[in-house]
Amino acid sequence: MTFFGRMLWVIAFRSLLQHRVRTLILGAAIAGVTALLVTLTGAFVGIRTTLLLSATTLMSGHVNVAGFYKASASAGAPVVTNYKKLRAIIDREVPELDYVVQRGRGWAKLVSESSSQQAGIGGIDITNEPGFRQVVQVKEGSLDGLTKPNAMLIFEAQAKKLGVNVGDTMTIVAPTFRGTSNTVDVIVVAIAADIGMLSSWNTFMNDQGLRQLYQLNDESTGALQLYLKDLDQVKPVQERLRKVLAAEGFELMDPDPRPYFAKFDSVNRENWTGQKLDVTNWEEETSFVQWIVTALTALATIVIIVLMAIIGVGIMNVMWISIRERTREIGTLRAVGMQRDAVLAMFVAEGTLLGVMSTSVGGLLGVLGSLALTRARIALPPSWQFVFFSERLVISPTVFWVLTSVGFITVAITLISIIPSFLAARLKPITAMSHVG
Amino acid sequence: MSAIVTITDVVKEYSLGATVVQALRGVSLTVDKGEFISIAGPSGSGKTTLLNLIGCVDTATRGVVEVAGKNTANMSERELTNLRLNTIGFIFQSFNLVSVLTVFQNVEFPLLLQNKLNAKERKERVESLLEQVGLLTHLKHRPNELSGGQRQRVAIARALVTDPLIVLADEPTANLDSETGQAILDLMRSLNQKKGTTFIFSTHDHRVMRYANAVVRIADGKVKGRESPQEAVAHEMELGPDPTLSTEVRAS
Ligand SMILES: Nc1ncnc2c1ncn2[C@@H]1O[C@H](COP(=O)(O)OP(=O)(O)O)[C@@H](O)[C@H]1O
Ligand SMILES: [Mg+2]
Repeated sequence: MTFFGRMLWVIAFRSLLQHRVRTLILGAAIAGVTALLVTLTGAFVGIRTTLLLSATTLMSGHVNVAGFYKASASAGAPVVTNYKKLRAIIDREVPELDYVVQRGRGWAKLVSESSSQQAGIGGIDITNEPGFRQVVQVKEGSLDGLTKPNAMLIFEAQAKKLGVNVGDTMTIVAPTFRGTSNTVDVIVVAIAADIGMLSSWNTFMNDQGLRQLYQLNDESTGALQLYLKDLDQVKPVQERLRKVLAAEGFELMDPDPRPYFAKFDSVNRENWTGQKLDVTNWEEETSFVQWIVTALTALATIVIIVLMAIIGVGIMNVMWISIRERTREIGTLRAVGMQRDAVLAMFVAEGTLLGVMSTSVGGLLGVLGSLALTRARIALPPSWQFVFFSERLVISPTVFWVLTSVGFITVAITLISIIPSFLAARLKPITAMSHVG
Repeated sequence: MSAIVTITDVVKEYSLGATVVQALRGVSLTVDKGEFISIAGPSGSGKTTLLNLIGCVDTATRGVVEVAGKNTANMSERELTNLRLNTIGFIFQSFNLVSVLTVFQNVEFPLLLQNKLNAKERKERVESLLEQVGLLTHLKHRPNELSGGQRQRVAIARALVTDPLIVLADEPTANLDSETGQAILDLMRSLNQKKGTTFIFSTHDHRVMRYANAVVRIADGKVKGRESPQEAVAHEMELGPDPTLSTEVRAS
């Protein structure tokens, strides 16, 4: 930077310092908006993270090889036959793989002595579920109980609604794709802490037990759920598997970004029988709740735009005042040979400086506040749990979003300050100098 | 000697709503290089307006203003600004310092705009000027920590720091005590003699007029004539003694 450039910053900095109260009020407002933006983006990331975590624990892998088996044209079941052969292809073709699990898929009515509810039932082989054990927190009973064929895991909210405890018996009534309803008695072996809203309609049962319920053979499952080392690889892996499986002679369903349970109608309307595979990812399987993320993003955007508009007007006003007060000074500087663009630069520097200082403070406060809120493990009211996919408030500020927030607001403030600065620079030196006040 | 400022038939009008004020009504004037010239006249006669036109901070309604051989009417705002920076030094009646900058930084500012000297050269230059105006001890002060007289000395140092061809001073000593005023005029005078810098300053103070090598009398927006300082003072006597005139000046 030239000495002159440095001097412009010195003037800008000292001018801000000279009007401490004004600078502090405006700076606090800017810092507040920045902190809010950091918190909102953190909440957004938190929601996405908890959604990812709960979805990939409860109902989906990062990528899934699933599909439908149709005994007749209108009797589709979410079943994959011969899954061990598929497993071998996946192991061979997906080096990004961390691990694979197989899960049965069912939909049934849980009937307790006092109540009943509809729920999805995941058939789970608890001895081969590394991720599940890490995420699901058992409040009562034990996961190891799931090794018994008629054992069942439910979540706290469900246990409350059904009025059951560990050791109690429930009846499962499951309509099968053969048109009849099968019934089986199960024992609740574990009650786990809720994992956001998704756990309210998911339950788990021993996979052999689920096969028996639907009268499926040992080679059948609902889905192979693939967990990858790197989430960025989801799309490429999904694409590759589609190609590879097609090349291996499997029939594939057309890509359809909906969860599997939304596909029954269209699958049953189609005129094929036998097995078709469907390669999906976790976002597609949770697309029925992604609208919440979209709505929150839209809401946050509106809030930020409104706040920015208010702050923008404030900045304009303060800069007007600043320029009015310094009109004589501007005239003098122009008279002694300062060019218009330098005057412009001097005032924009003031805006930028105010922006950088305030947004840095605001960014820092936002991060600290987010971490403090998360650490406080604030229990969310039920309606908020629905939105946050979590029982507790989780705000995860990320470097990317903090820098983006700080950068965005700084740039916005700089741009806003250009308008009054431009008018200051346009003043004729003599008009400026003869300005009174 | 060659003309450094040539003003021909200049009219300057200010419009105040419907009424038009003629501040200058056809002024012609030539200032030669190296002159130490005073524009004298009562308040409201058009002195400031004339200096503003010469200083290229304002434009004439009609007529030609030539500064350093250039017709200012044909110059862009950018060129005019450069002309002000490199050719003209301003001393304002009311100091006009940048309040957030120190004394040193205020004086250094035009040098930074010029971007010709390095930091060491600038320091030497600024300190030499501040020494001449007797403010070397106040380098780090802010303008609001100085008296009016000290502020004007800073302004003078700032006007002279770029070594301009022309220095314009609008009643430069009006806000200074007579001793400081004389010191300033001596300083201006010595710069005029050493470097040949042209000085044009307005005043209605005889003590100040005495320093000039020519006095241009102006009244009601018209030049009444160019006189020697002795003639000008005598002229003033005919019009009646000025109560602000000191005995010392009258005696000389
Ligand atoms: N910006 C202006 N707008 C209107 N009238 C002005 C303006 N500046 C000066 N005048 C008028 O022009 C005349 C000359 O003013 P000025 O050049 O300031 O005189 P002086 O400096 O000799 O006191 C005065 O009548 C003054 O009222
Ligand atoms: Mg005047």
